[in-house]
Amino acid sequence: MTSDRDKMGKAALSKITRYQIMELDTCSHCALCTETCPAYDISRNPLHAPGVRSAKAVKLYDKKFSLLARVLGEKKITDQDVVDLSESAYHCSLCGRCRETCPFGFQTHQLWVKVREIVNELGGNPENVIRLGKLIGENMNPYGLEPDTRLDWADYTDLEDPPKKDKADIAYFVGCTTAYKGANHEVAFSVSSILNYLGEDWTLLGEDEWCCGNPSLISGDEHTAKVFAEHNVEALESRGVKKVITSCAGCFRVIKFEYPILLGRKPSFEVVHVVEYLRDKLSEGALQARLTDASVIYHDPCELSRLGGVIEAPREALAKLASNVLEFDERGLDVRCCGGGGLLQAVDNGMRLAIVKKRLDEAKEKGADVLVSACPACKLAFVDGVREYKTGIEVLDILELAARQLGLL
Amino acid sequence: MSGLLPLLYAFFVEKLPYVTVVVFSIGMALKLHRWLSAPREPTTPKLNIISSLKYIFLDVVLFRKTFERDKATWLVLFLFHGCIAGILFGHMRGFYLWSASLFYPLGHWFTDFMVHTLPIYVGWVFIITQILLLARRHRLEGNQLTSITTDYVTLVLLLATSIVGQGMRIFPPEAIPAEVYDIVFIPGFIMLHLEAVPSYHWFHIHVLMTQLLVMYAPFSKLIHTISGVISPAIYGSWRKQYDI
Repeated sequence: MTSDRDKMGKAALSKITRYQIMELDTCSHCALCTETCPAYDISRNPLHAPGVRSAKAVKLYDKKFSLLARVLGEKKITDQDVVDLSESAYHCSLCGRCRETCPFGFQTHQLWVKVREIVNELGGNPENVIRLGKLIGENMNPYGLEPDTRLDWADYTDLEDPPKKDKADIAYFVGCTTAYKGANHEVAFSVSSILNYLGEDWTLLGEDEWCCGNPSLISGDEHTAKVFAEHNVEALESRGVKKVITSCAGCFRVIKFEYPILLGRKPSFEVVHVVEYLRDKLSEGALQARLTDASVIYHDPCELSRLGGVIEAPREALAKLASNVLEFDERGLDVRCCGGGGLLQAVDNGMRLAIVKKRLDEAKEKGADVLVSACPACKLAFVDGVREYKTGIEVLDILELAARQLGLL
Repeated sequence: MSGLLPLLYAFFVEKLPYVTVVVFSIGMALKLHRWLSAPREPTTPKLNIISSLKYIFLDVVLFRKTFERDKATWLVLFLFHGCIAGILFGHMRGFYLWSASLFYPLGHWFTDFMVHTLPIYVGWVFIITQILLLARRHRLEGNQLTSITTDYVTLVLLLATSIVGQGMRIFPPEAIPAEVYDIVFIPGFIMLHLEAVPSYHWFHIHVLMTQLLVMYAPFSKLIHTISGVISPAIYGSWRKQYDI
């Protein structure tokens, strides 16, 4: 007799796309991706290796869709199948580095998100991820804070008259991790100050800004992500916004690349990460900053660089902000993740902190005084890491550094 | 030679190829059906042929990513795949797709080296690299990777086929019927000309193993010889689209 789980599992597995099943069939389980996986590097647990995840996923698929399953009957999805797949899928920061190591260049980020969708359908999401989903549903943000406190960061940072206009050319999409996490409030202040300094016609969405949908999407809840995408796009388009600027790498990737898929159409506005805007304004000479003497090292956020394609802009901006810019050995497309993504903090914060330690240690070895990134989740991970390991290094978002060098912060 | 063996050998050469072609074709059709019956991607990068070809060459032909990470594994992988390419090319001569005259302009010694000497070395390198890859898989098994049955079956079948093929070259020729010099697998379609008479038994076992390998290919990881170029093509187009 087919159980409900088998029915739901089969329905979820049937959503694996054409290229994805081809990738799973092609994967030779060579383990070359394992060597560079930041999660496996810490845990040494085979379940956390990307290639093992691929093997588990194709085995599950074959239980329902292989030739043998069609001829001899489908096999049952067991408790252990779900537990193993969940353990594997959520001990991953979704940094996508396995794509850059895979000899075939599989689109692993999409593949692992699909695996999480299957885990979710099978009821295998970790407890904290389920809790997070509820918080998002109730408060429109994953931190469980009231929606009407979304602009509190402006009070805390003494930003005067945060704009909430009905019509504007530019909207600053702050993002939940910037709006609700104290460590990032000055990032929002810096972006706002620069927009004000340049006299832009810009606005915030305030309560009308909902979570971008990234946490829902990467916990396998595409439906909620779509509802949030529809709301945010409506809020932006109704204000006649031509350009959306965000300081969050996750929001940037989702609004720019996932919203058109979720909505089935391209929104009417352009989406840029604030670092691209900053680079343009510094290059044009609209912003003229003092160069800092401090040794600054730049960490590429995975969602901005490897998954978002923005690699040179932050470097070009930094060249106009600091005289001594250092580089990590693993950077750009090959950046080693800080551990801040993929909901790893909710699932295994110990692993997240162990991953960030590697990055902090390298920054110290390189002689950096300041570690700069362009993502609130990265900043949060680094700030937590510095506190945990007492690493004497200052952590800043690139916009904070810019605002400081412009005399705005 | 009398008894069952000649009948069996005749079956391998005269009948089994039909089974092989049918099983391979059905296998490929089933594989394509498996892929094509899955839902289409919601979006794919706009195809850029030049960038796709660039990354197919860099990543599939040169194993760029493996070279950048792990030189030892790259060397083994590169030699392994290079040997396959060489061996397939060498076999084409037997199937009348090219002849030794291709090398005549480069002299007698070179022609002899390319046609008779080099294949023996390539055969050894092929076997050694397969053993190394199997050993690597065994070493990492349960730690960094979880193989599925087909991973091992494919490697073992390939290794057995190549050992038998190499045995055919190094064991002394035996007296075999003259008709073996020209072997017709499927009239008008697959015909093999043997220039040097190989060991009779090793030859027929090699014929059997090769056909088992071909039949198994669509159901195994050998499918990556076909599907393995599609992902790098998508990857190449993606990089172009993002201007990376």
